[in-house]
This record gives sequence, C-alpha cells and structure tokens, in this order.
Amino acid sequence: MKRYRRLTDRILVCIVLLAFWQLGSWIFGTYWLSTPWLTISRFFTSIWSGEMVRQAGYTVEEAALGAVIGAVPAIILPFALRRMPTVIAILDPFMIGGYGLPKLALAPLFILWFGIGIESKIAVVVSIVFFIEYYATLSGVRALDTKLVQMAQLVGANERQVARHVVFPGAVPNIFAGLRIALPIGIAVAVVTELISSNRGLGYLVQMGAMNFDITEVFAAILGATVLVLAVGYAVDGTERILLRWRAPVESLQQQISTT
Amino acid sequence: MSVPLLEVRNLAKRFPSRQGREPMPWVIRDLSFSVSEGEFLTLIGPSGSGKSTLLNMIAQIDAATGGDILFAGDTIVASGAKVLRPGLDRRVGYVTQDDLLLPWRTTIDNVLFPLEVQGRLDDKGRAHAETLIKAVGLSGYERYYPHELSGGMRKRTSLIRTLVYDPPVILMDEPFAAVDAQTRTQLQEDLLRLWEMGRKTIIFVTHDIAEAIALGDRTLVLTKQPTRIASEHHIPFRRPRNVKDIFALEGFAQVYERIRAEIQ
Repeated sequence: MKRYRRLTDRILVCIVLLAFWQLGSWIFGTYWLSTPWLTISRFFTSIWSGEMVRQAGYTVEEAALGAVIGAVPAIILPFALRRMPTVIAILDPFMIGGYGLPKLALAPLFILWFGIGIESKIAVVVSIVFFIEYYATLSGVRALDTKLVQMAQLVGANERQVARHVVFPGAVPNIFAGLRIALPIGIAVAVVTELISSNRGLGYLVQMGAMNFDITEVFAAILGATVLVLAVGYAVDGTERILLRWRAPVESLQQQISTT
Repeated sequence: MSVPLLEVRNLAKRFPSRQGREPMPWVIRDLSFSVSEGEFLTLIGPSGSGKSTLLNMIAQIDAATGGDILFAGDTIVASGAKVLRPGLDRRVGYVTQDDLLLPWRTTIDNVLFPLEVQGRLDDKGRAHAETLIKAVGLSGYERYYPHELSGGMRKRTSLIRTLVYDPPVILMDEPFAAVDAQTRTQLQEDLLRLWEMGRKTIIFVTHDIAEAIALGDRTLVLTKQPTRIASEHHIPFRRPRNVKDIFALEGFAQVYERIRAEIQ
C-alpha cells in the first residue's frame, strides 16, 4: 500500500514537472526550449533507430571502464594500508589534493595526451571515481569496531581471517556509499568530457544538436544521460539491498525517529 | 591439593601516563587468586573496581603491567610480557558485556564463527552448535541476523558462541547486566543448565550480590582501586540450583549480608 502510494506520488511530481516544462516552452518558444512531447518522441525515435543506444553504449563503456580502473585500487588501498597509519598520513595531503582538484580542468590535458577517443574519457572518470571511493573505503576501514576484532582474535582468528571476516564486511556499507556517489558522477563526467571533444557518445549528441540549433536533439540526449544515471543509481541500490540484508532497514529507523 | 587450572599471581595494572604528567594510579595491584577445574568462581566488586580490566588482562586483550598468569601450573604470560596473546591460544573464552556478534552473520553463522576460523568446522561441530542453540531456546532463529533478535537472544547467541569451541576456562564480564530482571533470571537459569551439562571452569564478574551467590561455588569480593581481593566466600548451596528460589534458601540472607558488608 505504501509502495503504491509512493508510485502515484512520483507520477504526480513527474506531471507537475512536465507541466512547468511545457509552460516554459510555450513562453520561450520551441526554438529555445523544446517541449516534453517533442523530446520524448525524439528520444524514442532515436532509440528505435539505434542511434541513441549506440551513443549511450559508448558513454557507458567509458564510465564502466573508468569506474573499474578507478574503484578497484581505491577499495584495495585502504585495506592494504590498514596497518600502516603513517603511510596513510603521508599520503593524506596528496589524496585531499587529488580529491579536491577540479577534474574537468584535467580533461583538456587528457585529451591532449590520450586523444579524442575513449581513453581520455576513461582517464577523467578514473580520476574522479578513485578519490571518492578511496575516502569512502578509508572511512569504512577506520570506523572498524576494534572490539569485534578483539573478539575474533580471542576465538582464534589470525590476521588474514580478521581482515576477511571482520574488517572487510564492516567496510562494505561505506564502499557502497562511495559507489552510489561515484558511479552516477562517473557517467556525468564522461558525458561532459565528450562535450569538450569527441566524435561519439551522449555528450557528442548534445554537442551536435547544439551546433545544428536542434534543441530537441540536445534535450533528447540529456534525457538519455539522465536515464543512464538513474539506471546506475538503481543498480547500485539493488545490489546493496541484496548484499546488506544484515543491516537494520533504514525505513524502520525513520519510523523509530518519527514515533519518538 | 591439586594444581589450580588457572592462577593469577601478583597481577598489577597501571595505564600509561601522558608525557610530562604524573604517573597514573594503580588500577590493580598485587592481585592473586586461582580457580580449579570445573569451578564456578564469581567476582564481585564496586563499580569502577577494575573488574573488566582484570578480565581483559586474563584474556590477554590488555597487557598487564606486572604479574604472571599460569595455566595448569605453566606460566603462560610472564611478568611484563610485551606481546599480547588474545585468548591464550584458545584456552580462555570470553563473554563480554556487549554481545559482539558480527552483524553480517546469522545466529548459526555467529555461533559457528570460532569453529570456522579454527578450521574445525565439521559435522560434529555443527551438531554441537545445533544442540547448544536448542538448549537456549534459539531453535527457529538460526537464519536471523542479530538486528532481528531481542537483547536476550543476542546474549544467548554470544554465550553459546563461546561454549561451542569448548575453551577450558570461560570469563564472563557482567554478561547479563544490560537486560531486564525477568530476562536476566531466565539467562541465569540457561547458563546454569548449560554449565551442568559440561561443568566448565568459569570466572564470572558481576556487581549483583544475588547473582554472584546464585551462580557461584565461591565468591571473591574485590576492593576499590587499587583492586585486590578483600575476602573469599564459599557458597554452600547444593546443585543443581534454581535461581528463582535461591532467595528462599536457608542461609542465603547470611551469605548476602556478609558479602554486602564487605563491599562497603
């Protein structure tokens, strides 16, 4: 019942947003602001023709490769350095620098180095996913309950078993919190990097549309990127729900708060 | 008299002071006692008397500043040992105040955890775990995660997780302090029933005089800091005992009063 209600409310919000959009395009004209109907029909035409799917495929490929290359070492590193707090401390200013650095400012550099193909986009995605995921995992490793470690050692667990059965599972929620932020951003920066210079991808579609004053094309490509980001977000949430069944559900927490 | 199973000699503890500050006071000093095989020893003392610190040192998750720990007559931890040996190579089990269940493991997987890391996870171990789960009334909850269990159920899980690998000595640090009175009585009965099954050596710390009397063969009263043994009391009641009726037993009031007077 609650689920059903949530769905109907979402549809309602969607209708209101579309209404504002429609109103806007009436006021400013479809030359500047395409209508929802035009955008959605272009979006589906582009999907049937295969163009949207092919361009989105490039973007997904860049984001996925970048996410794997960036996230895997970012997850491993905090575990590897767990027993070396000095090394973590030495690395810290560099990591913060890397984390705070505006990654899109690197895009022109990567395009110069790696060309306008897929490699430069992967590089930008890596540079953003790595730092987000490093700090997310690090906070998970640091939040480790030392009493659980002592318990495990007491019943006979060795160093490797402690890492596998206590430290890693304890950090999984943080790893997911990081992925939930990093992966959609990964898609977004792949698109933006394509905007700067490329010959394919959703960002390329946006760029082409704008150059041809085809606003509907721009909107359809943006809609495509939004759908991708949503899909990635749901995929992460779904995987998290399956892997983290052992956690007290968040909803019950909210209920506790509202009843007190 | 035979050699005690576990003996603590002149145990002392002082936490390290911060640089440039006066040395910290002794928490525990010259504390000696022993426990023989199959004995249920209860330790009772005022709050802040370093009871947890004492058990942590015996379990070797905290370093002693001085003193020795002997197991069956052999020195396991010699005075001033630098390296900790948590659990004294599985000779000492420890049921802590917090249940310390792994939240990502179900009841059965938490109970089997010690056997798993010790490489002893076989059919016999599983059967033993099942027996224990049944004995404390957790049948049907094997596949539940800790957050789905009540406080009392978590305590029981934590208790049988220690029993499952059969350590010769079991330390218990106020394991039933955080539950309501009714659940506590139930847990005490569960513990005594399990203990009657195998008569393990238990060192049980509590601040509840009635609990110390109801469970123990012998009760040691601890002093305030620095902690020492103030007195020793033999509990004369026959076993098996019924925790609910312990107050009505002849002589309970006298033992209770004697211990209460010591604690002041």
